[in-house]
Amino acid sequence: MPSHPLRVAVVCSSNQNRSMEAHNILSKRGFDVRSFGTGSHVKLPGPAPDKPNVYDFKTTYVQMYNDLVRKDKELYTQNGILHMLDRNKRIKSKPERFQSCKDKFDLVITCEERVYDQVLEDLNSREQETLQPVHVINVDIQDNHEEATLGAFLICELCQCIQHTDDMENEIDELLQEFEEKSNRPFLHTVCFY
Amino acid sequence: MELSAEEGETPHDAIDMTTSERVVDLLNQAALMTTDDKLTVLKQVQELIINKDPSLLDNFLDEMIAFQTDKSIEVRKFVIGFIEEACKRDNELLLRLIANLNMLLKDDSVNVVKKAILTLTQLYKVTLQWLVRSKAVTERQEACWDLVTQMKGDVLALLDSENDGVRTHAIKFTESLIITLSPRTSDSDVPKRQEGDTSLDKVPKDHSYIRYGTVIRIMDIGYYGILVQSVQSHLLNLLLFDSIDTLCEEGKNALERLLKFMVHPAISSINLTTALGSLATIARQRPMFMSEVVQAYETLHANLPPTLAKSQVSSVRKNLKLHLVAVLKHPCSLEFQGQISTLLLDLGMPQSEITRSTPAPREQRKRPRHEQYTEGKKVKMEPALIEDDEDKEEPAPLSVPKPAAVPVAQSAIDLTAEFLHPLLNPENVANLVLISMVYLPDVMPASFQATYTPVESAGTDAQIKHLARLMATQMTAAGIGPGLEQCKAREDDAGKEEGSEDGPGAKDQLIKRKFPAVMVGQAISVVGGYTEKTPAEAAPAVKRLPEPILPTTQTKMAGASGRKKVFRLSDVVQPLSEAQIEKLTSRAVKRILHSEKSIAQSGMSHVRVKLLSRLVTQFEGMMKEDVLEFILDDIRTRSDLAFSLLYQEYNSYLSQLPSGLLDSYDHCLYTLLSGLQEKPEQRDGLFTKLVLEAPVITESALEVIRRYCEDESRVYLGMTTLKELIIKRPSRQFQYLHVLLDLSSHEKEKVRTTALAFLKRMYEKDQLRDYIEKFALNYMQLLVHPNPPSLLFGADKDTEVAAPWTEDTVRQCLFLYLSLLPLNHRLVHELASVYTEAIADIKRSVLRAIEQPIRGMGMNSPELLLLVENCPKGAETLVTRCLHILTDKVPPSPELVERVRDLYHKRVPDVRFLIPVINGLEKNEVIQALPKLIKLNPIVVKEVFNRLLGTQHSEGSSSVSPLTPGDLLIALHNIDSTKCDMKSIIKATNLCFGERNVYTSEVLAVVMQQLMEQSPLPMLLMRTVIQSLTMYPRLGGFVMNILSRLIVKQVWKYPKVWEGFVKCCQRTKPQSYSVLLQLPPAQLTSVFERCPEMREPLLQHVHSFTPHQQAHIPASIMLVLEGEKKPEPKPVEPVVEKEMEPDPAPAEEEAPAAELPESETEVLQHAADKKDDEEPMEQEESEPVIEEEAAEPVSQEDETTREEEETSSPQPEPVEEEMETTQPEPSEDQEPEKDAEADVAAPDTGSGSEDVE
Repeated sequence: MPSHPLRVAVVCSSNQNRSMEAHNILSKRGFDVRSFGTGSHVKLPGPAPDKPNVYDFKTTYVQMYNDLVRKDKELYTQNGILHMLDRNKRIKSKPERFQSCKDKFDLVITCEERVYDQVLEDLNSREQETLQPVHVINVDIQDNHEEATLGAFLICELCQCIQHTDDMENEIDELLQEFEEKSNRPFLHTVCFY
Repeated sequence: MELSAEEGETPHDAIDMTTSERVVDLLNQAALMTTDDKLTVLKQVQELIINKDPSLLDNFLDEMIAFQTDKSIEVRKFVIGFIEEACKRDNELLLRLIANLNMLLKDDSVNVVKKAILTLTQLYKVTLQWLVRSKAVTERQEACWDLVTQMKGDVLALLDSENDGVRTHAIKFTESLIITLSPRTSDSDVPKRQEGDTSLDKVPKDHSYIRYGTVIRIMDIGYYGILVQSVQSHLLNLLLFDSIDTLCEEGKNALERLLKFMVHPAISSINLTTALGSLATIARQRPMFMSEVVQAYETLHANLPPTLAKSQVSSVRKNLKLHLVAVLKHPCSLEFQGQISTLLLDLGMPQSEITRSTPAPREQRKRPRHEQYTEGKKVKMEPALIEDDEDKEEPAPLSVPKPAAVPVAQSAIDLTAEFLHPLLNPENVANLVLISMVYLPDVMPASFQATYTPVESAGTDAQIKHLARLMATQMTAAGIGPGLEQCKAREDDAGKEEGSEDGPGAKDQLIKRKFPAVMVGQAISVVGGYTEKTPAEAAPAVKRLPEPILPTTQTKMAGASGRKKVFRLSDVVQPLSEAQIEKLTSRAVKRILHSEKSIAQSGMSHVRVKLLSRLVTQFEGMMKEDVLEFILDDIRTRSDLAFSLLYQEYNSYLSQLPSGLLDSYDHCLYTLLSGLQEKPEQRDGLFTKLVLEAPVITESALEVIRRYCEDESRVYLGMTTLKELIIKRPSRQFQYLHVLLDLSSHEKEKVRTTALAFLKRMYEKDQLRDYIEKFALNYMQLLVHPNPPSLLFGADKDTEVAAPWTEDTVRQCLFLYLSLLPLNHRLVHELASVYTEAIADIKRSVLRAIEQPIRGMGMNSPELLLLVENCPKGAETLVTRCLHILTDKVPPSPELVERVRDLYHKRVPDVRFLIPVINGLEKNEVIQALPKLIKLNPIVVKEVFNRLLGTQHSEGSSSVSPLTPGDLLIALHNIDSTKCDMKSIIKATNLCFGERNVYTSEVLAVVMQQLMEQSPLPMLLMRTVIQSLTMYPRLGGFVMNILSRLIVKQVWKYPKVWEGFVKCCQRTKPQSYSVLLQLPPAQLTSVFERCPEMREPLLQHVHSFTPHQQAHIPASIMLVLEGEKKPEPKPVEPVVEKEMEPDPAPAEEEAPAAELPESETEVLQHAADKKDDEEPMEQEESEPVIEEEAAEPVSQEDETTREEEETSSPQPEPVEEEMETTQPEPSEDQEPEKDAEADVAAPDTGSGSEDVE
């Protein structure tokens, strides 16, 4: 769809790391982008693997930031969580849940298969109305800072290529095949309808 | 403009402005705006006239619609959206707007088309609803519906669109169409939003259409077309058109079409995903179709399209799973639970999850329905039809006016499965497995890899049943199996019984059943996509006929009329126009071309290749280009097509042989080869293969091969190919060989060297030898031209003005020849003859170029020896050069020396011939030649000396010079000064002294010794002595000895030597004092005459003697010593007086001493002998002085350099000069001789020696 800018949604589980990293980069490159999580809660690493910090989607990034500073500033500085929250709060105020968003997109990019499944389930459970297509692509990204950055660049490149196609729907298949070969990772891809 | 914009921004402030005025204003603005602003403004207008004041809608409709021709895609899309909104707001507008939508549906931009499809999806429902609501259908409404129906057909046809996105939208349209054109039942899932949507059950039972519909039914007409034919009534036509049954039928046809679309083997992953989703929606909203849907899922699962990539397979499977679960959750899935859960298990879903998604069995009420279904709908069909007529109360009957097809197919699979089940015993299964092994592909397909899950329950009855079912699905799909036959039979029976089965109904079987029809459809599509129309669409088209506006399908009419007559093909077909034919053929060929993958899957590639090549060769035109281009796109995998095409072309040439032209073949081969040649990175030798396997290599093809060879990165492959051609195609080998020969003088070095290497190898073949040789010689022969022939320049560099020869052009003529030379030495004579004729520039270049090959030939080559022996006139320099090259690193062989000697003595007495072989000559020969040699150019002389002294061959060559260094130096001294000027000799000796490593003090001592013993004394003796002393100061003692002995030999008789003697003494004082004292008084006087300053120190020296020693000094000597200057020695007078006594004696003796030196010298000899004894002491004393002298060699050198400058100015100052000037005659005598020689050889020697350097 070359005539209007691609409306992109990047979705991960908690709308913190992967989706926000991509959100950051994509918005810098001028995309009409939003980011979401699909989880029921927002989870951030805690002092131990079995003790995550759990928030609901109403909590703002600032609140989370302050909460964690209060809990253990050094730990969360050292593992980069505070840095991440700091970045996030500059992008938007709080995480958003994909299932609660009724806005329409041209392209939804998910960051792991589980999220992809959830997005698909949600989109398919919605009642069809306009039958406008939305392409859902899954790009597997491990949930850590480095991978998130690499993944975000990959997503950005992908979006740029898609944006540059004359006829996205006609070319996306081939484009994804090329990308698969280039990036050496498989993409799940499907289309849903609003 | 700005004003109006402001107004636009604040429309609310302008209270006095009516909505209408504002709309006008906005529309005016919009017309002049850029796309983005225009959209904003138009949206405002839409809001105003649709929502705020709908009464305005009608007024501004035309203005808004006018934007549908806007350049911007977005604006056109907006217009579509506006049409949708407007029509929804006021259905009557459909009458006016639907035609516009139709236009937009055919827009150039796919995005507009897609938007139009979406809108049509909505408006189709709206239109139907609107018509249904209308009590009486007007003519305009009818026309409108006609158009909508036509558009529906168009969109359905877009399922075959080239564009993926358009197809996706068409699928969604189909989905919505199916749902609309089927009745909602109690168990339908109804999305809230679509609660109000229309469906067939909403059509009121008392609607006028239905009655008519029944009439039609009663009339029992098989085909619509026939109906149209027989009942031309407008009314009936309309009724037929809108009959519920027909609509229902259309819905079912659409479903069928969707199902058919889904089993297309090359379906794209997105289309497949979309279709899967649509089917799930259909199954949930219209459970009556659930069986078809599950069936389709099952078939798909077993036959995933082979064109999907691995990740696409996973995406599709994920979707399949998702939708299966969605279907499973529907209460009506009960009877399909077995199939669905098997599928889900296969897709890797755990049983627990499946159970969770399975709905609890519903209340009893459902049961009977299910039983009905499972019994087979066929059974139910008849009552349904009856009900249809009699009882329209219940929606259910409506739902199944024609459901026969599905259950029939269903049972076909069931039957086959039942049939198979008992046959699946271990033995049979094992056999099946073994047989199928043969057909396994080499590589595991992505779809299999993704779908494979280990069979968990192998061998259990359930699994065997499943297997039987899987096989049954496949068999039914392939159109075989007992179930299918039974069904067919049953259906035929039914058809007969009923007799009322109408056309579409008969076709209304499961896709599999429709296999032949599908095939027909595909076959047609090969000829031309647009002719494809399923009967389902044909029917409405026919009915639309009476509408004058709409384009109609004439052929259908004709076909319909054929019912009564005998069918004649000519009635129904029209000849196509030339252009159409062209278009169709090229499209057909293109389709065959691009079906590569799918045909490969079916293992029929060879047929395709054959078909293509024959088609293309038979027909002229563009397709040939297309095919070639296609091949070149991926020639690696399409090489078989390339070859096939090539052979076919050749074949067609052969078949029309007497008159046939090779043009077409040539073009084909040329295009293929150039394609390969231009492609970078083509490593797999396809080019070679093509060249070698082509039946004929045409001129232009050869040109491509040549270009290929000229490509530096592929030169080797190219030339290997060429070589193969030369060897394997003897009939035209010289033609090919000529190309290679041409390349041997190519400007790119790599090309050239490779070509030469290949030619050298080929030169060994007898049949090619002559040709190559001739070519090489011809090329070399070009050198005799005064200017290089244009042949040497590329065609592009053809110069009008004759260019002079350059080093490059000369070499170009020689490359091939010179590389052949080492292989065939005889050729050397040709070079000599060309050489003699060539101009000086060329000669020089030739001399430079021949080094490698000559060296390669070696000095034992008989031909080379022969050349030396014969030495054609004019080729002397060439021969000399050869000799130099040969002896450059190795000592000359006796044979060579023999030839050269012969040549020198008998034919060309040019001493330069001797230089290369000088070390092979006899000692006396060298000595004889020396005078001539040293008169040559200094550089050449230097080389001669290098050779003689062995200083040239650094790498320990075993060349043994006939002369030792000492011999050489002596020989130089003994050169007859009449034969050679002294200057040359001096220079030559200087060269010797330059070789300090060779001329060590020992060697020099021996030389001096020998020279001194000669009689007469050589003229240069003292010069050499002085020079030796300068070089080696420690030779001082030895030199003193020499001097003493010279006195004995009465050195003063040789004026030049004597002069040198004095000079030497002068230089070696005070060491030389004792020698001086040995001189007879007369000579001593002569010494003092020459250098008066010597006298005083010598006198002092004598005074320092002990009285005893002084007593030995003859008085005559003392007299000379004291000379006239008596007062001076006064301070030492007491001592002197004592010694005074002998003084008068020498004085007396002085006169006779000059006359009788012999007696004197004898005396002196004694004294000298005595002195000798003392010498060591004195020498030690005097060493510092000598060292002083040695410490200033600069002066010595100055002298020598000056010497060299003095060629013209004979200033008799230094000894050497004087010597020279005293002998001007001989040197002058030789001068002309030398000049003459120089005339002959000066340039040549110059160049020759340059090269040696």
